[in-house]
Amino acid sequence: MANSLRLYLTCIRNTLEAAMCLQNFPCQEVERHNKPEVELKTSPELLLKPILICRNEAEKCLIETSINSLRISLKVKQADELENILTKKFLRFLSMRAEAFQVLRRKPVQGYDLSFLITNYHCEEMQKHKLIDFIVQFMEDIDKEISELKMSVNTRGRLVAAEFLKQFI
Amino acid sequence: MMVATDDFVEADNVEAIISRIEHKSRKIESLLKQSKLVEALKTALEGSPPNTRDERCKSANWIAVHRAIMAMKDLDALFSSLDPEYYNILMKYLYRGLSTGDRPTCDPVPADSRKTHGEGRLGVHTSFPSRHHKYSMMIIAIVI
Repeated sequence: MANSLRLYLTCIRNTLEAAMCLQNFPCQEVERHNKPEVELKTSPELLLKPILICRNEAEKCLIETSINSLRISLKVKQADELENILTKKFLRFLSMRAEAFQVLRRKPVQGYDLSFLITNYHCEEMQKHKLIDFIVQFMEDIDKEISELKMSVNTRGRLVAAEFLKQFI
Repeated sequence: MMVATDDFVEADNVEAIISRIEHKSRKIESLLKQSKLVEALKTALEGSPPNTRDERCKSANWIAVHRAIMAMKDLDALFSSLDPEYYNILMKYLYRGLSTGDRPTCDPVPADSRKTHGEGRLGVHTSFPSRHHKYSMMIIAIVI
């Protein structure tokens, strides 16, 4: 793994370890309701200041924390138009299967490619350090997946073009 | 009427804060020229305007702190001499730097972790500055 990526992920890991201190907190507005406060943003006293960690101008991670939930939004590197299309399609594919991931948000936050929503219930059911490992591993693997998809598209394109042009030889 | 008075008082305070920050910046520059990097950073972190809402004050102080951080070379010496009360302030400026997206600021450098133990103490992850990347990525994790 490139050095800069490793340290970017280390930075995010350390921030998540500090930020993922969630507890159960019933909704203050509506009786007997329990909602992730980071999504509602109705009570400022329950929200922490969002933290933005940028690797460069194109890649960044926004971590928004509240008393009972945490939202992590990722902007993935997209160097060219092909990567843009592949990233969009791939992440949409994942977002549509958000139930399988449990912590994945169906729709990313505005300005980002993918969002996770972790609540206190997830922290109770799953181990905190495992959740963080999953997020970090996901970020590492997403770059590899997009690169592999791009190579695969280029390879197929080259093969198709070669076959098509053979008839003119 | 009361709101207008408060705005007038705030504007006066802003001017005073900005002139104080300018004076501090000159002091930081002179300390940097004397290679007193740790003192320069301490000076930059001292007197950070905590309650002002004026963006000019915050930006002016951020520029001064950023200048001091970019000049840092020996982080071990920094953390051994920096008072723990400055860790929180330093952490805020570090995250502000990480949010800029500016490459020389955000480029991470080889990291080495070190933690201080004890109740309520801060755990500090430090990085050693490389020749090419001036902004050292220091993340302070609060160890409870």
